[in-house]
Amino acid sequence: MTTLPEWLSDNRDTTALAAMLSPASSQSIETLAAESRAITLRRFGRTMTLYAPLYLSNYCSSGCAYCGFASDRKTPRHRLEPDEIRRELAAMKKLGISDILLLTGERTAAADFDYLQRSVAIAAEEMQRVSVEAFPMSVNEYRALADCGCTGITIYQETYNRERYEALHRWGPKKDFIARLETPARALEGGIKSVGLGVLLGLSDPVQDALSLYRHVRHLGRRYWRAGMSVSFPRMRPQTGGYEPPFPVDDLLLARIIFAFRIALPDTELVLSTRESATFRDGMAGLGITRMSIESRTTVGGYCESENEESKEKTGKGQFEISDDRTAKEFCAALRRQNIEPVFKNWELSYNGPSSSITLATQPKKEEPCH
Amino acid sequence: MLQMITIDLNGQQQPLTPGSTVIDLLAVIGSDGKSVAVVVNDCIIRPENRPSHLLQEGDRVELLIFAGGG
Amino acid sequence: MDSLQIGSYTFSSRLILGTGKFSNSTVMLDAVRASGAQLVTVALRRFNREQAEDDLFGPLSAIEGITLMPNTSGASTAAEAVRAAHIARELSGSPFIKVEIHPNPQHLMPDPIETYEASRILAKEGFLVMPYIAADPVLAKRLEEVGCASVMPLGSAIGSGQGLATSEMLNIIIRESGIPVIVDAGLRSPSEAAHAMEMGCEAVLVNSAVAAAGNPQAMAEAFAEAVAAGRKAFRAGLMQKSGFAVATSPLTSFLGTH
Repeated sequence: MTTLPEWLSDNRDTTALAAMLSPASSQSIETLAAESRAITLRRFGRTMTLYAPLYLSNYCSSGCAYCGFASDRKTPRHRLEPDEIRRELAAMKKLGISDILLLTGERTAAADFDYLQRSVAIAAEEMQRVSVEAFPMSVNEYRALADCGCTGITIYQETYNRERYEALHRWGPKKDFIARLETPARALEGGIKSVGLGVLLGLSDPVQDALSLYRHVRHLGRRYWRAGMSVSFPRMRPQTGGYEPPFPVDDLLLARIIFAFRIALPDTELVLSTRESATFRDGMAGLGITRMSIESRTTVGGYCESENEESKEKTGKGQFEISDDRTAKEFCAALRRQNIEPVFKNWELSYNGPSSSITLATQPKKEEPCH
Repeated sequence: MLQMITIDLNGQQQPLTPGSTVIDLLAVIGSDGKSVAVVVNDCIIRPENRPSHLLQEGDRVELLIFAGGG
Repeated sequence: MDSLQIGSYTFSSRLILGTGKFSNSTVMLDAVRASGAQLVTVALRRFNREQAEDDLFGPLSAIEGITLMPNTSGASTAAEAVRAAHIARELSGSPFIKVEIHPNPQHLMPDPIETYEASRILAKEGFLVMPYIAADPVLAKRLEEVGCASVMPLGSAIGSGQGLATSEMLNIIIRESGIPVIVDAGLRSPSEAAHAMEMGCEAVLVNSAVAAAGNPQAMAEAFAEAVAAGRKAFRAGLMQKSGFAVATSPLTSFLGTH
């Protein structure tokens, strides 16, 4: 059994975060909210960066106990072909979206690296910013993605508790805890400019996972100091697989975790998806969250207006249920009512390409076509 | 009359008998050589090479020690 | 044991002492001994037969547990600093080199570009490079990247006694650094040294504050005690400062009753 890396138990500066998250903490939620808001205002102003997910494929080789797309689930499988991708992108652009997250399941023959790379290239033609949440890749694969226009990789450890992790990831490549743990570092090594980390709250002790997640962010930040970082807070929702989270996290605890992260990581983007309710999202906007998804579809594709019964059958159910199903227009209006400016474009295409760094400077640039 | 050679020692002219080695120079100026670095024309002359290193006319020699500093 | 680790060297003292500006070498050596410092800086100077007693190599090496850290003071380019480093290593046998390049004699601020270049070269040659820099967080990471053994950001200008004027930047450097951060320059009092240690510095370098004190030996002792106290406090976990704001109307009512 490979030994766990030292940084996973590094307590160099976890005191403040641990104090805020401790059940015995004397800091009220209102106090934390106020401090979190003050820091958010100073560092990010009154803005909310907006993005939308596009599921390219729900083929999957893994057997995660908690996921509706696990390879043993009976959901119909589909992957978007290039013309379908283009149609989805056009539909998303009509909604104002220009920052997208492309998703696939774990690596399969149907949705492999080449498929992903081609899809990234297509998306980079239409969108201002392309991030990917897919399967762990090699440093060279990440470099190729960076060359094709991907500037962000999201990869959740799900849980930093090794025993729990191994119990939940029953088969497939995702079963390897250490390989998963090292993925964000590989992405950064490959020149991807920012990574998004997170745990799936509900799978394990949330306070311990939060501390490990914090250590991960700090560790990567020291090593890849030019990198952008973001932290998401996906919380187990009722889903098509029927998995009951053993450590359910209520609104109060989730809010506390988010405030504590804002205070402990003042410059880190904090992300909330449409898994959460409109009330919760509206409440957290301006208090600590700086990036949110909108108009989300968690089925494959799903943005095309031409959606009929036939294609619904093809795409099947989503990976998780959406709680906030407001349109972009409605959501932006809600933000504006709170004096928060919705930001659809927070990137410039000329920033695309691999990150420059000492380690990369010695690598010859691979001149391979993106298509 | 013996023709002296002249070297530049720490920025100043220093006469020496021809055929002088670094060791001879150190003796002339009163250094025991123990805590001195010797640099001749930008080359560091290690202690083991000092007895054999001959000095030539016009050589630039720096003799350096450790002194107080922050 | 909580020792300072630099390269393969382990030091129990986290006070590094500079040897400049003392009235004479006897006072300086007494101060070094009193401070318990195990790493001391020295400068290269031309041998002068009229001042043969200025040589410190012998007397310093005689103090038990001492490792010399020569500096490149006097150099104003990377090339000069590299040359000085080679000469210094030849003389001392120590792999430590404090890369100190300050071309402007008015304020003695370090040149970041020459410092980076010299550090890059010397680190490759196997020196334990200790670069003296302004408290620039990005420069600190770049120096770490090229293999420096530590970074030594200034607290304030050399000899100015302005203390930890750069504390905001120091905090960032300390937080982000993967190598020891050693505050060097500008400290005036032991309490400032303790504060630097409480912030998370791995060591402090002090020179003028001791050399210019009324009683350098006693001041050296005071600094040693302060550095130890500050480190102990850091390790003990200082209590959180509560500077939390209080909103005028509740922010979290959307979470329901709590």
